[in-house]
Amino acid sequence: MRELELYYGPQHLGMVGNFSITLNVEGDRIKKATANPGYLHRGFEKLMECRTWMQNFPLVCRINVVEPDHIELIYSMGVEKLAGIEVPEKGKYIRSIYLELARVASHLFGLWAYSNMLGFDTVANWAMYHRDLILDLFEELTGARVYHIYIRPGGVRRDFPDGFEDKIIETLHTIGGKIPDYNSTFFDNRLFKKRTKGIGKLDRENAKKMGAVGHAIRATGMKYDIRKIEPYAAYDQVEWDVPTRKGGDAYSRLLTIRDEMIESVHMIFKLINKMPKKGTVYTKTPNPFKWKIPEGDAYVRCESSRGELGLYIVSDGGKKPYRAHFRTPSYSHGLTILENILAGEDIADVGNIMMSLYVVAPEIDR
Amino acid sequence: MDRNKLIKWIKTPAKMGNKYSLHAVYFCTGCGIIEIPPTITTRWDAERFGVTPAATPRQANLFLITGYVSLKTLKSIIRTYEQMPEPKYTVGFGSCPINGGMYWDSYNTIKHLDKYIPVDGWIAGCMPRPEAIFIAVTHLWKMIDNDMADGYKKYRNNYDQYRANQEKVLGSLDWPPLFK
Amino acid sequence: MNDLKQKIEMAFDSIDINIPEDNRMIINISKDGVISILSYLKNAGYEHLALISCVDLINENEFELVYIVSAYMKRDDEFHDREKQNIIIKTRISRKKTRFMTVINIFENAEPYEREIYELFGINFQGHPRLKPLFLEIEYEMPPFRKNFDTRKFVDDMFGNIPEIEGH
Repeated sequence: MRELELYYGPQHLGMVGNFSITLNVEGDRIKKATANPGYLHRGFEKLMECRTWMQNFPLVCRINVVEPDHIELIYSMGVEKLAGIEVPEKGKYIRSIYLELARVASHLFGLWAYSNMLGFDTVANWAMYHRDLILDLFEELTGARVYHIYIRPGGVRRDFPDGFEDKIIETLHTIGGKIPDYNSTFFDNRLFKKRTKGIGKLDRENAKKMGAVGHAIRATGMKYDIRKIEPYAAYDQVEWDVPTRKGGDAYSRLLTIRDEMIESVHMIFKLINKMPKKGTVYTKTPNPFKWKIPEGDAYVRCESSRGELGLYIVSDGGKKPYRAHFRTPSYSHGLTILENILAGEDIADVGNIMMSLYVVAPEIDR
Repeated sequence: MDRNKLIKWIKTPAKMGNKYSLHAVYFCTGCGIIEIPPTITTRWDAERFGVTPAATPRQANLFLITGYVSLKTLKSIIRTYEQMPEPKYTVGFGSCPINGGMYWDSYNTIKHLDKYIPVDGWIAGCMPRPEAIFIAVTHLWKMIDNDMADGYKKYRNNYDQYRANQEKVLGSLDWPPLFK
Repeated sequence: MNDLKQKIEMAFDSIDINIPEDNRMIINISKDGVISILSYLKNAGYEHLALISCVDLINENEFELVYIVSAYMKRDDEFHDREKQNIIIKTRISRKKTRFMTVINIFENAEPYEREIYELFGINFQGHPRLKPLFLEIEYEMPPFRKNFDTRKFVDDMFGNIPEIEGH
């Protein structure tokens, strides 16, 4: 059979985000896949070198549009480590609650994209609606739907408004109450199982070799989660478990995402119960126009909803970062793993596999 | 619906067709795309306004440029835009296509989108809310009624200038000119 | 962490190791030793390459390449100290002779990182199977992440004098 070259993206219905894959196909089978990123490259790390430490906050959160909160957090953590700032107790709890809400919202977005791709429009509409409920919470808390700029070095920008905890609990009960419906229409659906079981298989050895993180490695059974390994914020204050699966295929990855979402909801309830009622939420930082950070370099990492997110940051003692480099989870997932596991699959499963790895294009290009 | 213009519709039925069935091409050009899924799903339901995503540019007449445009994306945008049948309308979504926005000093994003392809309207903000899309759509209706959404005619008339600007940033383009 | 430090010091001579804080180790090594220390660390269980970064030290006329490795878990559900540790390996190459060895043979996911550094800093990784542009569409007068590439001046020159469309 003749081999053809097929361009999948950037303008393609099965592509979420501005990303492109060149497929060499023989009939319906993919022989070779070549990822072609760069459609969203803005040179963030160069732009950061031209702006002061605090000016960078509106910039960095735009690295990942699906979940800007973890990028804010990682940059704050980097600045805190270089400048030696401590976060007050209540600030830590608020950070954790806020980040877990962001994780649920991000997973719901992923669920929208995935169910939309498989043709489950009902589930897609539910997921998007439930994500919007969380965005409403963010809007009340920070004033913005998408880019919040809520976390700052030394804590968070402001305390929860009155009665905000009750609103969180109410919203999460609404979403949690819908989980059985999600299960019966989507996760337990025969069609879903047929489309995902055995697709995009990534076994343990290959996952380790190609630098898999996050749910991609957790779907092979390893409880690799930075929140447990190197706890930040208030993740070491409450009891929670890392959900894992054994299969390593798209099905296991999707179920890991669902279990993680449920675990996050439970964790938020525990965090709200344990959160101190009084206290400051941030440590004062110097005047942002004059703020100089001592010379040095640091590597910090956290667990975003797609996996290990890291930041290598260098300061030369000046008002601006000398160099910052984000290690984003989609980078290895989208460029190394995707290219490797697409070979041998069907064309119809490209979007399926890509979304099961949860590749977000702006994170790759930066 | 404006009953006073009923006569006008009867005279120009095509205009009504263009107005109330805006098919937006499915192209996630930038981070503004994050507000499109809420817009087209249950909560805001863009189909009330006749806006619905279309799979290919050849079936679409609305091009939402959602967010910053890097040089690599500009190339795809031009190709996509040229494939769309006329009449076609372009709306710049977010601050970045207007003047570069946050990336005014980035070496890899273009600053003024209307220098490369014609743009009929802008939605300011980062991110604009889903309601802003509907306001833009209703404005676009009025513009179509009054023959003001004529970006595609502008592209046809001034194609030399557009092509020159495109080649200035991208180098020589590897497809022949659309209009001679 | 201190055990590992001792072990590395036994295995390699002329190596500079310091532990600035808990769970972080910085190894400064000359450029010939990078391959051997990375494979040593991989055999010692640090098999996750988190990041390859590059810092342009223009005042010292050198590039600093930074490799950050960490470990996956030994058992599926037991947490040890080893996963907490991040080892940062730094090496310097001259800004004039921008050549270095690839580490793809040790860490497979180094491939896009090296391609990115090739494109944004202009460092040539020898032995890399496809060293071609990853992100950029056009060619710049110099790799854009170098410190002497002034992005604001470039934007003024490139986008500042593109004319408005006249006529309608």
